[in-house]
Amino acid sequence: MSADRGSGRSAPRAGAATLERTVGTVLRAGVIASSVCLAVGLALSLFTGGGVVTGILLNTGIVVLLATPVVRVIVSTVQYVSERDWAFATLTFIVLLELAASAIAALVLNRRG
Amino acid sequence: MPVVTATLTLIIFAAGTAAGTLGALLGLGGGVFLVPFFNLVLGFPFSASAAISLTTVIATSSTVSAGRTGKQLINMKLGMLLEVATAAGSFLGGVTAQFVSQSVLQKLFGFVAVIVALIMLSRLRRRNVILDPAADPGVLGGRFHEDESGGTVTYRVKRLPLAVVASFVAGNVSSLLGIGGGIIKVPVLNAWCGIPLRAAAATSAFMIGVTATAGATIYYGHGQLEPTLAAAAVLGVQLGSWGGMRFGAAASAKWLKILMAAALFIVSAMMFMRGGR
Repeated sequence: MSADRGSGRSAPRAGAATLERTVGTVLRAGVIASSVCLAVGLALSLFTGGGVVTGILLNTGIVVLLATPVVRVIVSTVQYVSERDWAFATLTFIVLLELAASAIAALVLNRRG
Repeated sequence: MPVVTATLTLIIFAAGTAAGTLGALLGLGGGVFLVPFFNLVLGFPFSASAAISLTTVIATSSTVSAGRTGKQLINMKLGMLLEVATAAGSFLGGVTAQFVSQSVLQKLFGFVAVIVALIMLSRLRRRNVILDPAADPGVLGGRFHEDESGGTVTYRVKRLPLAVVASFVAGNVSSLLGIGGGIIKVPVLNAWCGIPLRAAAATSAFMIGVTATAGATIYYGHGQLEPTLAAAAVLGVQLGSWGGMRFGAAASAKWLKILMAAALFIVSAMMFMRGGR
């Protein structure tokens, strides 16, 4: 029982360090990917006047930017589930549901015009 | 929706750079300066202004937090707990913004700008929480190494319900007005919840990405976000905050705060005048 508790206490600490590293990687990758898309798209729109490719690049950049925090939350949920930290797995999952609600609200509002 | 021209794009890039630099020097996101510039100076609709500003807020949050991971400055557990409240506030704010008139939003912005200015002035002398390093931080508390003192700072979270309420309000204001909302959370977390200033700022900046995403998604889905202008603003803010962090000596922060507080009072007055019509 006491041994169990001991391992239970050290596992989250190791898990916290892992999570922080993973989150850092996700955020950095998201920032770089979206900045590159936005920079190339912006340069094209300024120098060529824009077109289909420009529009795709700019919108991809925006979507990657918006998706980065969402992926960060997904990664956290997965990490907490693997640690069996059910309280924080639930909390991060609720945040995901709230973000999904925003996306759904956006679609509904868009349809309404 | 504003008409995109090369000149307008460059103006927005420059405005983003200025806001990003100021934001980095003041420890703010910069949205509180971008929204009035777009709305009052360039004449964009309030929703288009808020939408562009929110995308820069997300970029700043991701960039700043990526650079801070590994230092235990960000309290991830507290952040993720408070995100439940801030994302709910942000979602409701984003939906509400679609049904509220521009003049109401302008008046609300004027009101919040005054509060931000007052908070800025009241915090000219930063104070930190000093705690016994051997204390048990509990589930939500934290421990980090402070470079200036060379010691380890340990803290427990006090008055959690207050932190939850502040996060909800910050999220709500964030997506209604297009600002990050850190200016509301950080003072509450620091002054009443026992969290050292640097940890409070880092945790707030970390949460803001989720807050702003909930709001920005609604604007983007509703077609209120112009991608070219958002790209110019985001890249400008990235450049500005990079420069601000690299070259900004925090020494003159006091005068900068007084100057910015004065600017915010003017912004507030302009918002009230425009919104009162």
